[in-house]
Amino acid sequence: MAHSLSPSLLGGVSLAMAACLVLPARAQTPREPAHAEIPSLQATAPSPDAPDPSLSPECRVPGSKLYTLAKLKAVKKALREHRAVQVLAIGSTSGGLGTAATYPVRLEDALTRSLPDIEVTVESRGVSGEIASGAAERLRNSVAELEPDLVVWQVGGNDALARVDIEEFSQSLAETVGWIKSHGIDVVLVDPQYTASLAKDDYYRQFVQAIQKVAEREQVPLVQRYEAMRYLATRAISAPKGEAAQAGAGFRLADLGYRCMAEHVTRAITVSLLQPDGAPAPVPPAAH
Amino acid sequence: MREPNAVDFWRGVALITIFVNHIPGNVFQDYTYSQYGISDAAELFVFLAGWSIGIATRGRDGVPEPAGRTVLRLLSRMVEVYRAQLVITAIALAMLAGAALYLDNPLLVEWHNAGPIFSDPIQATVGWVTLLHQLGFFNILPLYVVLLGLAPAFVLLARVHLGLALGISVLLYAVSLVFEINIPSWPVEGHWFFNPLCWQLLLVLGFAAHEWRRGSERFLVWRRRLMPLGVVIVLVGAVLSWFNLRPDPLAVPEPRLLFIFDKSYLSPARLVHFLGVLLAFQAVFGLIQPRTRWLTRQLAALGRNSLAVFSVGSVASLGAQLIRFWTGGGIATDVLVVGCGLACLSFTAWFVEWRTRSPRPSSAA
Repeated sequence: MAHSLSPSLLGGVSLAMAACLVLPARAQTPREPAHAEIPSLQATAPSPDAPDPSLSPECRVPGSKLYTLAKLKAVKKALREHRAVQVLAIGSTSGGLGTAATYPVRLEDALTRSLPDIEVTVESRGVSGEIASGAAERLRNSVAELEPDLVVWQVGGNDALARVDIEEFSQSLAETVGWIKSHGIDVVLVDPQYTASLAKDDYYRQFVQAIQKVAEREQVPLVQRYEAMRYLATRAISAPKGEAAQAGAGFRLADLGYRCMAEHVTRAITVSLLQPDGAPAPVPPAAH
Repeated sequence: MREPNAVDFWRGVALITIFVNHIPGNVFQDYTYSQYGISDAAELFVFLAGWSIGIATRGRDGVPEPAGRTVLRLLSRMVEVYRAQLVITAIALAMLAGAALYLDNPLLVEWHNAGPIFSDPIQATVGWVTLLHQLGFFNILPLYVVLLGLAPAFVLLARVHLGLALGISVLLYAVSLVFEINIPSWPVEGHWFFNPLCWQLLLVLGFAAHEWRRGSERFLVWRRRLMPLGVVIVLVGAVLSWFNLRPDPLAVPEPRLLFIFDKSYLSPARLVHFLGVLLAFQAVFGLIQPRTRWLTRQLAALGRNSLAVFSVGSVASLGAQLIRFWTGGGIATDVLVVGCGLACLSFTAWFVEWRTRSPRPSSAA
């Protein structure tokens, strides 16, 4: 039973293979035992170092720059029991013109495509204010209001801009993540975005690292939006030349970052779901 | 201008507290009373607004003004507050966008819920002009707009019987709390930061307290007798807040809003704590006014001109946040931005009063 190939798994493998044909990337061996546990999951574990071919071309980032993984027990349980998965997306909800293009809608769409047999609903809440002063409390109330299986938390933007004490922020973040997990709800963290004007800002870099440390300590997957966008900045954005084009480069990158975020988050979730139950989650080396 | 009084003084205190608390991470934040209790300056602000409605809807002789006049007075105040909200939101958006351009930093246009206004302007423009989309920290005036819209109904009901107005207010509060009814936000999913259906209770309580104080000896006696209870509540609140003790929102029974500490719905714990604060501090103004005349005069001036001071304070606190971000923060920056901000607030109060004293330039000019 553990090695039987379900039709949807075959679909997943053929999808990955088709993607490999389009883009010359190293072919991946799917982790069959993990698939067998969750028959509906359409994903294969990618190589950590090559651009992930399952992402759309403009969003392609290697796994090592996109996420650190951990187990998602609550979502996995829901998948095994074939019940609907409720996701609460917390944080900024900007990202495109019109309702159809907003991040929560894209996220629901991308997750539904990756988990075709499962009903996925994404609710979103913007939490204004800082984790270090009050917003964490409001977030708890939002979680209690919806009681989701998974919280995807875009964290840190407000706190970083307010330059709150990093230690205070980390502690509050760790407490809140621990609290969500203690109620059997999974958490995926998404760190703040990269922009060239902040590349040399020590505070901001330490801030992003602090989120990585919390994710590692609390054993929750992290979508490394900062790293992923830094990677994308070296590629897609380099196209227009000249001073006039360079002037808006940061804004174009931010726009690309929003468009890719749903895909990136979905990828981190599906690959995290491939984590075997027994062994501790392997964490790709942080790219610094 | 009227002499300093307790209402203006406390409103001034609330305005300064809100200004300082709206610059998150600054060193002075730890010294505001919001850090030492379950409720904060927002409760004080709304309660005093109710009290002021009590004063404003009676003539100098204490006789209630005609009903039509009261309705028009409150609705014209509502329009004034709405206009202020639009103006400060527009300025805030321009500040965020301007700073993002100047510092080449797209993160800034996402700050404080501003993101959708720039990334989804078609919906979000409708949203912020109709108050359904609110920037972070720019959410008190939308509450106030709705409260002023509801106020005529409560004031007129109170003229029939104060208990009737209070009863309906408590009922509306309880129903909203139990069934979690709030005004939705749009285009972003969620709801209003301050739920007017719950916060109206504080406005009505403020109004009722003013009415009782005018007409009821018993109220004054009990207010004094209950002062020790207020002190106990304040101490309990300080301990809970200091040790960060609060109910786990996923562990409390339904209806959970009755048990948790929630600002949006003004949960009962916050309400009780605030009433405790009122009881505990009722005599403070009388004690400190003779000793600190300059300070009480300054604070009362802020309170007398609360809408203008609040509006300038909102914009100034955003400016202070941008400066803190740009410079990297630190104590020197905090002293500078908070100091300049307070000076701005004082100047605003003086300027508004100067303008009303001075003959206005001809509108034909």
